[in-house]
Amino acid sequence: MKELISPLSKLLQTKEISAVELTEKYINAVEAENKKYNAFVSTTFDKALENAKTADKMFANGTATALTGIPMTLKDNICSDGDLTTCCSKILEGFRPYYDATVWSKLKAQGAVMLGKTNMDEFAMGSTSETSCYGAPLNPRNVNHVTGGSSGGGASAVAGNIAAYALGSDTGGSVRQPASFCGIVGLKPTYGAVSRYGLIAYGSSLDQIGVLANSVKDTAVVFDAISGVDANDQTSVDFSFGSIADSLENTDVKGLKIGIAKEYFEGINSEIKDAISDAVKLFEANGAEIIDISLPVLKQALPVYYIIACAEASSNLGRYDGIRYGYRAENFNDVEEMILKTRTQGFGDEVKRRIMLGTYVLSSGYYDAYYKKACLLRENLIADFDEIFNSCDILIAPTAPNTAFPLNYSGASPVDMYLSDIATVPINITGVPAVSVPIKNDSNGLPIGMQIIGKKFSEKTIMQAAYFYEKTAEDMVGNVEGGVQL
Amino acid sequence: MITKDEVLKLANLARLDFSDEELDKIIRDMDDIIAFADTINNSVEGDAEKIRTVSTNAIPAEDCREDVVKESLPNEKILSNVNGSKGMFCVKGGI
Repeated sequence: MKELISPLSKLLQTKEISAVELTEKYINAVEAENKKYNAFVSTTFDKALENAKTADKMFANGTATALTGIPMTLKDNICSDGDLTTCCSKILEGFRPYYDATVWSKLKAQGAVMLGKTNMDEFAMGSTSETSCYGAPLNPRNVNHVTGGSSGGGASAVAGNIAAYALGSDTGGSVRQPASFCGIVGLKPTYGAVSRYGLIAYGSSLDQIGVLANSVKDTAVVFDAISGVDANDQTSVDFSFGSIADSLENTDVKGLKIGIAKEYFEGINSEIKDAISDAVKLFEANGAEIIDISLPVLKQALPVYYIIACAEASSNLGRYDGIRYGYRAENFNDVEEMILKTRTQGFGDEVKRRIMLGTYVLSSGYYDAYYKKACLLRENLIADFDEIFNSCDILIAPTAPNTAFPLNYSGASPVDMYLSDIATVPINITGVPAVSVPIKNDSNGLPIGMQIIGKKFSEKTIMQAAYFYEKTAEDMVGNVEGGVQL
Repeated sequence: MITKDEVLKLANLARLDFSDEELDKIIRDMDDIIAFADTINNSVEGDAEKIRTVSTNAIPAEDCREDVVKESLPNEKILSNVNGSKGMFCVKGGI
């Protein structure tokens, strides 16, 4: 995939195109291609043109930044003042937030142009984006396959070239896995590196806003713009990353210690295993030191994740009662009945399943047996990851054990689908950062993603390693034809 | 195995209603998911002392920011998503 943000920014700076003209081109592309991809669930074209006029003024008065005038999208669970934000759930039908998420405030201040909200699994619960109440987004690499999830619409928009970049959220892999399935780059930052203010909560101790973009450099430019402490999010951290985008040039992997945990490669598709192995050899040939390690706790990560995520979801989704916002059932006799009918009619099957499991693990008699034990194991996982990063700079692993599923992959049980998150959830449980980079296509022409994982706040290290790979390896994934015509 | 009565009790706590057909399916799904979640018990079975020491990640009072009163959002904006509000009441109808 080719870098896009810097070349677009150069066109804008040199006035070869204005921000309004560029936005109009993207609007035309969305109108032409979204019927095919179902990536957008609502558009904000009038506001986008207003954003673009502001951007043109910034270029005129010399206050433009790297993201000024660049058209992008927000996932349908990130709030923006007055714009439909529904988490792709019937229960939030018609909901328009009355404030901006911090990430959007920051981007807007830099002159970003928001085209609309993108499709996702309902309340970010899923691995295919098929639980969306708007129907699934489709994978531009092959429209008979899913985009992955839950940030599938953003991945589809970027891969389909109808948005320059997208913001998503990653609770158990929801940025990295769709990035892998669609052949683009996806960054899940350290927990606390990016403010969650204005992100509609699913699993609050796991949720993190991340970036989907065409290249590592594009991803770094966006991360630089959205990271930082925020008084509105008490879990955000005051950490000075410097400019990661500026640090990417002249990256050298000589002496970089790369850990390969054998547990990450057990039971995965052999094509993916071979592709990752080839990528690791490229690092080794350029002077990196490969260290074979074992992380037995990885096997506990999935059940720990589902217990904690569902417990937090059952609590977070308690607020949807039909009173304050969104959908309300009709024909009720009292408040109790109204709430019961609203929630029953408003939530989809997967959301109900997770609320029920969360209620179970938090209920009297099961709290100690499940939730408390999961919290203990989470601490063990964090300790084991900390220890690994005493001897390794980064870990390399597959992003997913498979490439994009066919649409309507209905043969799988809920547990089978949960198992597909095996490679991504440990990152959220431990709060560390990871970036997924496309490395090649499988024999069906579907992209394979490689995950580069670092210790907390080591975004610079993992992005430099990802950039090195992107610059050194042959581009075996390529761009999708179509999309915006420049 | 989770029983039908347990599932009905959980549904009541979660303010959800299931038809008989949906109930059979959710019981089957929850059985599978709980068996999957149960695998963590192989890792910490009987380690009750350790379990009691799990930290709660509570933020110490001295680390909290100053409680400064700021201008609030306008009421009409906050209530803009309320369907059928009347005065201070948010649900119209015979309640």
